[in-house]
Amino acid sequence: MGETEINWPELLRAADNASAVEQLRGLVLAALRVALRDRSDVSEAHLEDFTQESIVRILAQLDRFSGRSRFTTWAHAVAINTAFTELRRKRWQDVSLDALTEGGRQLAEHPFAPAESTESSEERTVLLDVLHRAIAEKLSERQRTAIVGELQGLPFDQVVALLGTNRNAAYKLLHDARKALKQHLAAAGISAETIRSTFAP
Amino acid sequence: MNPLNSQQVRELIRVVDQTREVEITCSECRDAVGEYLERRLAGLPIDAALERVEHHFTLCPECREEFEALKKVLNATG
Ligand SMILES: [Zn+2]
Repeated sequence: MGETEINWPELLRAADNASAVEQLRGLVLAALRVALRDRSDVSEAHLEDFTQESIVRILAQLDRFSGRSRFTTWAHAVAINTAFTELRRKRWQDVSLDALTEGGRQLAEHPFAPAESTESSEERTVLLDVLHRAIAEKLSERQRTAIVGELQGLPFDQVVALLGTNRNAAYKLLHDARKALKQHLAAAGISAETIRSTFAP
Repeated sequence: MNPLNSQQVRELIRVVDQTREVEITCSECRDAVGEYLERRLAGLPIDAALERVEHHFTLCPECREEFEALKKVLNATG
């Protein structure tokens, strides 16, 4: 039977959903095996754990499935997010909020390495100067802390956890910070084109 | 943390430059990424709502990483 003929949400919501859940478990495990096949830090036991956790999340979030993709595609996206989030958490669990906050403080005071300003064209120096002032004056300490986390490659979920907030609030915090910096650069007469050409790699 | 190096400065400037007034969040991206990917793989056009998924990838390395993983899965399972 083709997948389009299976009404997964209905089968999974049914009181007697055991065989549908079992079938989905097999599909999710196979998908995670493909998604994580290049990761040497993932064992068969990890795959089993991720699959179990994914099934719980998929069942809890069935209402979020819009029906605009195949159900299994949506379910695999949830499973991949579950697995990657856990792997990122393990990798970055030792970063502390204090270190990030301190980084944010430094960002306000001395954001750029000396080479950035001495080896720069005049245009670039002006841009960095405007950017520095915007970072110091237009952003809150929490916004600077979040930006430092992002620039250090910290996963968004870790930034969220360290700030002690939720994902949506943290996204808004960062989005507002980026908007404030963008507005400040525009108000200083620095066009997007100048920014791009000045900082072309 | 040390002062930002060239690469970090470029990255900061890039994400500021890419910033839009309206953006989707990671969970909204995850809800739409399946449709986005299926349409891309089928060569179908992407509407404005799905274009926001593409834009989110320019700002969010994690959703982009998960998208690449999902692409591998769909390519392998058909
Ligand atoms: Zn994202």
